Amino acid sequence: MFKSMTPARRAALLSVFIPMFIAGLLTAGCGTKVSRIDVNEIRDLSGAWNDTDSRLVSEEMINDMLERPWIRTYSLQSNRRPTVIVGAIRNLSSEHINLNTFVGDIERAMINSGRITFVASSQERQEIRGERKDQDINAREDTRKAMGRELGADFMLKGSINTIIDMEGRTQVRYYQVDLTLISLTDNRKVWLGQKKIKKLVKNSRLRY
Amino acid sequence: MPGGNCNTGRRYAWLLLSLLLSACASYSSAFHPIEESLAAREPATALELLENQNHSDADLFLYFSNKAMILRMMGEYEQSNEQIEKAKSLIEKFAATSVTEEASSLVINDTTRTYIGTPVEQVMLHTYAALNYLEMSRVDDARVEALQVDLRLRMLMQDDPDSALSRDPFGRYLSGLIYEDLGEWSDAMIAYRKAFKGYQAHNGLYSITVPEQLKKVLILMADKVGLTDERRGYEKSFGLSLESLKKERKGTGELIFLFHSGLAPIKLERSVQVLDPASRQLIRISLPHYERHENPIRRARITLAGAKSYTGSTELVEDIGSLEIKTLEANMPVITARAIVRAVTKYNMAKKAGEQNELAGLLVNIADFVTERADTRSWLSLPAEIQSARLNTASGEYAVTVELLDYNNNIVFRQELNNISIDGGRKQFLSFYWTSASTKTEH
Repeated sequence: MFKSMTPARRAALLSVFIPMFIAGLLTAGCGTKVSRIDVNEIRDLSGAWNDTDSRLVSEEMINDMLERPWIRTYSLQSNRRPTVIVGAIRNLSSEHINLNTFVGDIERAMINSGRITFVASSQERQEIRGERKDQDINAREDTRKAMGRELGADFMLKGSINTIIDMEGRTQVRYYQVDLTLISLTDNRKVWLGQKKIKKLVKNSRLRY
Repeated sequence: MPGGNCNTGRRYAWLLLSLLLSACASYSSAFHPIEESLAAREPATALELLENQNHSDADLFLYFSNKAMILRMMGEYEQSNEQIEKAKSLIEKFAATSVTEEASSLVINDTTRTYIGTPVEQVMLHTYAALNYLEMSRVDDARVEALQVDLRLRMLMQDDPDSALSRDPFGRYLSGLIYEDLGEWSDAMIAYRKAFKGYQAHNGLYSITVPEQLKKVLILMADKVGLTDERRGYEKSFGLSLESLKKERKGTGELIFLFHSGLAPIKLERSVQVLDPASRQLIRISLPHYERHENPIRRARITLAGAKSYTGSTELVEDIGSLEIKTLEANMPVITARAIVRAVTKYNMAKKAGEQNELAGLLVNIADFVTERADTRSWLSLPAEIQSARLNTASGEYAVTVELLDYNNNIVFRQELNNISIDGGRKQFLSFYWTSASTKTEH
């Protein structure tokens, strides 16, 4: 059928169909595709701080913290497990790092170790206190929780995430340094200092399709 | 039936042509209604208009940036930053040169390329993200942006080390403010110093001078970090003394008032005939150029009324309009060369088509004429200027009045803003927008 057409008509038809065909090809790959991956699987996409960094750093650092002698020293002196609170962890890097997941990872690693008692942060405490106040008026007497019986923390964990970025052309070396410090609330002594470094080489292509 | 075939052919040809024509409305003209609602100081309407427009994938950067700026004007800082992050990720994604886009830009026009902003616009993204954070009192997050400004400027320096445009004085100045607010004196000193050098470098390009507030803070900061020689040098060259500056400081609190004045210049296209040296043919090319908006406002005056009253006048800290115009001027040789190559390619295509079939030749010629458009894309909701005033005040609650003055120092606009409370430890940031600048002047 196509062969029976005059050249002009064939050309006109082609001029319409070829772009349509190309457009079809271009849009074919655009549908959303979702595949589930394991949370432990390392997937580096942009070279920025990601979930893997957050998890690895918190696990490694807290393991290091738990192996150090300050826990033993404290337990021998006071006959109980140390109580820790997470203070400010500052993001001093050049990326908007989600500190909530990082702090969450740290808290989980500490609590699950079973060697530390962990108390709620100041923000969480406000909410709990509000609830206790509410209980004071509304809850049954035998279930009511009294005020002033909170467990005071012995140590505060503070820290920061820093970056140094070196670049040449489209290649970057991204260096992350996470510093965590455990400070005694009684006398401001620093009982543990942890440091974890991550270095990534990110090469961006000069050309794309 | 040869006639019938020919008619069908023509019909398809018209179809093609109308397709081409519909894709050709220039970016800046499509923005006009949004600009009008901004001029009427109705950002909510502007946002609605923007959201209802069609946006090609190539122009997404501008959609996000414009949306971010309008949301900011409405005080929606969090949402504004979400848009800025989207625009930033486009820069990362499309920074590499696209082989296909380059090819199509050489046969159609430059607007087929994915737009990722001029260097000025890219730096401005970080600047406004930082301001959004500062106005939400999230200084650590603003600090992240300050570091990103540094990275962005380092990248620009790599690409074009000699250009003064690779140094953005206001980006550095704002970084200095952020570090100072966090008590990181030495970082603040470095940033202020870079801002000072940036203003000096820009001074030769267009009319901008080192702001008085920067001169003052350079002296105070040099004193704070113990750089006595440097401090004395500044005192001498600025004609200011540390003692009097210290006396001037009336309290521990500080308000940094930022006045975002006017709208950035608009890019329009201009067609010119040039002689192609190779083929000795006169060819028509379209080139972009900027037109400034007329802005009757020269500066703003802010008054804080509380237990004590304080007044301050704004001074120019970033001339976005001039920066944009200078950047385009610097890129003009490349843009022109591309346009000529494109015109010659099109001319040869039309000639070849014409040799085979007259109608086809004519069609290609018309298509060339229609598709030859200048790239008039730019971030149009950016202000033309950023002006700033720093007010050193005692802590307390203040009623805020903003007055806008014209070039004869007459008050042409006056508005009372919400009360603010200034506390001793932190800097307070306050932005005010004036977008009523609709009359155009020829640049």
